[in-house]
Amino acid sequence: MKILEEALKRGDSTLSEHDSKLFLASHGIPVTREQIVKTEEEAASAAAEIGYPIVLKGSGAELAHKTEMNLIRLDLRTDGEVREAFKSLKKNSAVKEVLVQQMVKGDRELVVGLTRDPQFGPCVMFGLGGIFTEILEDVSFRVAPLTQWDAEDMMEEIRAKKILGAFRGKPAVDKKIMADVLISIGKIGLEYEAVKEIDINPMKILNGKPVAVDALVVLNNKKD
Amino acid sequence: MKYSNLDKLFNPRTIALVGASANPVKWGFIVFFNILKGEFTGPVYPVNPKIESLLGIPCYPSIETVPDSIDLAVITTPAPTVSSLIDECGRKGVSFVVVITSDFSETGAKGADMEQEIVEKARSYGMRLVGPNTMGIFSAKTHLHALMPPVMPLHGSLSMFSQSGNVGVQMLYWGINKGVGYEKFVSSGNEGDLRCEDYLGYFAEDEATTVILAYLEGIDPDSELYRTARWACRKKPVLIFKGGRTKTGGKAAASHSGAMAVSSKVLKAAFHQAGIIEIDDSQGLVDCAKAFSAYPIPRGSRIAILTRGGGWGVITADACEEHGLIVPPLSREILEKLNTILPPYWSHANPVDMAAVITSKPYLECLEILAQWDEVDAVIALGGSIQGALDFKNDVKGTEELKESLAFAREIAKDYAEKNDIVLDLARTLVDKTGKPIIMVTLGDYEDHKSDLTNHRVVSYPTPERAVRALARMVDYRRFLNSPDEDIKQ
Repeated sequence: MKILEEALKRGDSTLSEHDSKLFLASHGIPVTREQIVKTEEEAASAAAEIGYPIVLKGSGAELAHKTEMNLIRLDLRTDGEVREAFKSLKKNSAVKEVLVQQMVKGDRELVVGLTRDPQFGPCVMFGLGGIFTEILEDVSFRVAPLTQWDAEDMMEEIRAKKILGAFRGKPAVDKKIMADVLISIGKIGLEYEAVKEIDINPMKILNGKPVAVDALVVLNNKKD
Repeated sequence: MKYSNLDKLFNPRTIALVGASANPVKWGFIVFFNILKGEFTGPVYPVNPKIESLLGIPCYPSIETVPDSIDLAVITTPAPTVSSLIDECGRKGVSFVVVITSDFSETGAKGADMEQEIVEKARSYGMRLVGPNTMGIFSAKTHLHALMPPVMPLHGSLSMFSQSGNVGVQMLYWGINKGVGYEKFVSSGNEGDLRCEDYLGYFAEDEATTVILAYLEGIDPDSELYRTARWACRKKPVLIFKGGRTKTGGKAAASHSGAMAVSSKVLKAAFHQAGIIEIDDSQGLVDCAKAFSAYPIPRGSRIAILTRGGGWGVITADACEEHGLIVPPLSREILEKLNTILPPYWSHANPVDMAAVITSKPYLECLEILAQWDEVDAVIALGGSIQGALDFKNDVKGTEELKESLAFAREIAKDYAEKNDIVLDLARTLVDKTGKPIIMVTLGDYEDHKSDLTNHRVVSYPTPERAVRALARMVDYRRFLNSPDEDIKQ
């Protein structure tokens, strides 16, 4: 995997959000439509291509917690709004590039992750996402590799499992697709020793289908 | 699945006790005494160069001078002496060594080195080693009681391995008062050689074992326990009580997933995934094992509740729902059947509250109807077995009429006592006929209901909560058995 190899060669401890998603997408995990841009012009044309509304995120390998650092501009609806947002992000010198991203308006936020246990090896995590991940700790784990049964079973295990059903006029989450995501995450853990952790949070639900809105791949870099 | 054959460990033809002692407070005496008291089926040879005989049995100066082949050697001598004794056992052609001696890896680096030395040495002779720092082993078939405590477990079909000798032995004791019997037991000690997955694999293949119990504290990172369990749990129920916490992932992780992966949570998940029935307190282990060993696994999670009193029915229904069990509404057919037996003011619902009907016959009839109701998978029957609850021993002062009434009450109590056996026997007949567990809840203040199990093969608990928990764990196991058995290759 080229993205992974290059990051390891550089000695990076994480993949950027965009690279994380490219990596995950190459393993069949649905992610937001997005492009990395360097100039205002590129931002404007990327936004037009992806379609409004748009999110802009300041990007750089060291920028893990974008919300706290005020590096996210949400719900941009016009070319002008995108250009203004681009300029304001660039005021922060840590912002090397800007991520132009499809805005997913899902009110259901889930988390999917990969962790490594000293005894059981790679483990897949699933649960309530967004700010609730830390507050409620409503998550379940499975040891990789996961079977279809394991994946469906772990979705049933969270206390807030009702969130997966039809909800406020929105369709139920497609559990088959979600199960495939969980199985794929487990496979990544088994296949790539260099991937130490994965954190997809939030995983939003768009028309019943999961989309990784933010993602972080943490590397097990020997140069650490 | 590859597993170690431990037949000669648990059922040896001959035993040598190396370090036999005449001092009755030394383990070299106590373990030998326990083996003899347990009436081991084969010869036991005490080994000690300093004494001529022990408890009337000739002693040998070394294991190599014993005029018989030895399957199992039990060693109780101090740690520094063990290594050379292992050599002697090896030259003698011993198959298994149980090292009771402590002061090995559990006490530090020096002990760990000694442990590694004895393990490597044993392996070099093709011997397998239990312990060191074990409290010993038990086997029903050969009446083998090579144990430090003088426990004489009931014989049954449970087999247990325990990383704590004390906890494990206590489970053997608790079984005695509950009527729960064991087939094999091993205190795995430091697991220098044989580890918990070896015992698990062997018990899974062992035909005499129907249910496997374990108390675990730690699992080595290179342990095969998980993979062994995935296979073993398909064969028979494995109930594990986990004490302590495993080493956590350590470093605070950069992402949320890492930070939250408290490994006890992962351990729980892994147990669940493998099909292990995790028990969350010490009492629950033997409690649940009792139901697993005596009854078939229910086909589903639908429960009928029979009660003589409404409140207990409510409590039982609550416990069922909290454990994910379903208490379905009565079908019309069942309702009509019960109507012909019960007075008009009965509950007309599940739980079936007989509403103060005190005679035994309707209870028996209701039990039979509920057990045969094809929309339930198990029955919890409360207050059906109430030995001792009715006490009319003392005479009363008063009118002749009052005295006559007392005589009548005594007749009722006598009927209860006599019918109790009938209730229990009917319950067992129905279990065999329908394949559904019928769990009795006595509400009695006598804990263990040993005779219900040993005389009638019926599982009783004093409280509905304990009955529901046992049933819920059996339903968990059914759910696992129903999950596809996918052979995952990594």
